[in-house]
Amino acid sequence: MLTSKSAPNNPCARGACCLSNSIAEQRFREIVPPLLDDAYSLAKWLCQSPTDAEDIVQDAALRALQALSTVSVDRPKPWFLAIVRNAAMTFMARNRRRTVAYVGDMADLDTLDLRQNDDAAPNPEQELIALEDGERLRQAIAGLPSPFLETLVMRDINGLSYREIAEATETPVGTVMSRLARARAMLAKTLRAEA
Amino acid sequence: MTERDDRLLRLNAALDGELDAMGSLAFERELRDDPAFAAEYRRLTTLRDAVRRHAPREAAPQALADRIAALTASAPAAPSPQAIATPTATVVPFRRRTWLDSRALAMAASFAVLGFAVGAGLTSLRTPTGSGDVAQNLVSDFARAAIAGQPFDVASSDRHTVKPWLADRTTVSASIVDLAPKGFPLVGGRVAVIDRIPTPTLVYRHNEHLVAVTELPLRAKGASGTSAIDTIDGYHVARWSDANLAYVAVSDMDENTLGEFVEAFRRGGGLATEPSRP
Repeated sequence: MLTSKSAPNNPCARGACCLSNSIAEQRFREIVPPLLDDAYSLAKWLCQSPTDAEDIVQDAALRALQALSTVSVDRPKPWFLAIVRNAAMTFMARNRRRTVAYVGDMADLDTLDLRQNDDAAPNPEQELIALEDGERLRQAIAGLPSPFLETLVMRDINGLSYREIAEATETPVGTVMSRLARARAMLAKTLRAEA
Repeated sequence: MTERDDRLLRLNAALDGELDAMGSLAFERELRDDPAFAAEYRRLTTLRDAVRRHAPREAAPQALADRIAALTASAPAAPSPQAIATPTATVVPFRRRTWLDSRALAMAASFAVLGFAVGAGLTSLRTPTGSGDVAQNLVSDFARAAIAGQPFDVASSDRHTVKPWLADRTTVSASIVDLAPKGFPLVGGRVAVIDRIPTPTLVYRHNEHLVAVTELPLRAKGASGTSAIDTIDGYHVARWSDANLAYVAVSDMDENTLGEFVEAFRRGGGLATEPSRP
């Protein structure tokens, strides 16, 4: 019998189950607490609410704990942040807190002229001033459509690599790159427009 | 994809350190030869830096951290009197300090908790008074830890686990003595905050009792003392020092057992850390 093979003399009737649970808990304690700040920051940016972010992270943690009894994780950070992202999407779809706006698909993104906004003779000074206004910058970030927002947050706040973002968002690396470039171009444009 | 798109993707990839060696080489040449490209790169860098500065990673609220910790908290810290007296958990119980460590926030928070527990004790610590304050402080710490059912932050009987854990969190290099053969197995370690300095504390067990040894720099106020055992708030306190460190042991053991422990620790400590000493 397969289960008795893993826990031959375990007196517990749920031997294999107890065993895998304790391993899952141990893995969980190794993986999740160090990533809590990253998870919370990501969730808060995605849902734009501190209290919702807490619910999302707790939900993600529960999902992670369940998953850890069956999977082993090579790269904890993209793995857990992917769960947080998915939990955030589920949460927002259920609660309709924020319209999940997808602007076109990958093909659209690739055909977009990413620099189209820069043609309007940028004023570097104004842009610099705008960048120093933290509140305005944060609002501009929050105003990004979800795919761009999550890519920017994962890169510049969570510090994931392109490959890790691709893993966490189940997106090709090329799409991650164009979304990030576009996110930054949009930010610059918004800040210039308001300057 | 247009050529301009490609340029922008390369600018971003360079900014994010995602270009390989050949890509970096080509990029550097392009930066050098094309002022407009270089200007664009500077603007992008400024934007990225501003994002990082104004939208930093945020610390998760303490309540959330506590709830996450509670998800797997079944093994340690069952708050029964028995559990307080005999910490038998072998699983490492991460408290929040374990993963918020090395940050000023954690320091401040643990200081606040400690400060709450000892009340005016901490403020008087900063004044040059007698040696009683440090000991009083550590007694309160000991009592608080026992009441919380959490006598240590890292649970391990392996000093090779405890030592690096403490080394990461304190500036004092703890000498950890294996006293299991003498009947005092190591059960874990924690960080005590003395005069705002994190100091390593080792927790040993003897039957149902615990002894916490805090290791202080020799210059710490009130660290030194006679070898006699004092009694503070019903706990026994022993103080001694060697060439490197001062030690304060707080315990709920009886006086004689604590004396034996101190004797064993001093002899063991001498052997473990200073083999040349007689």
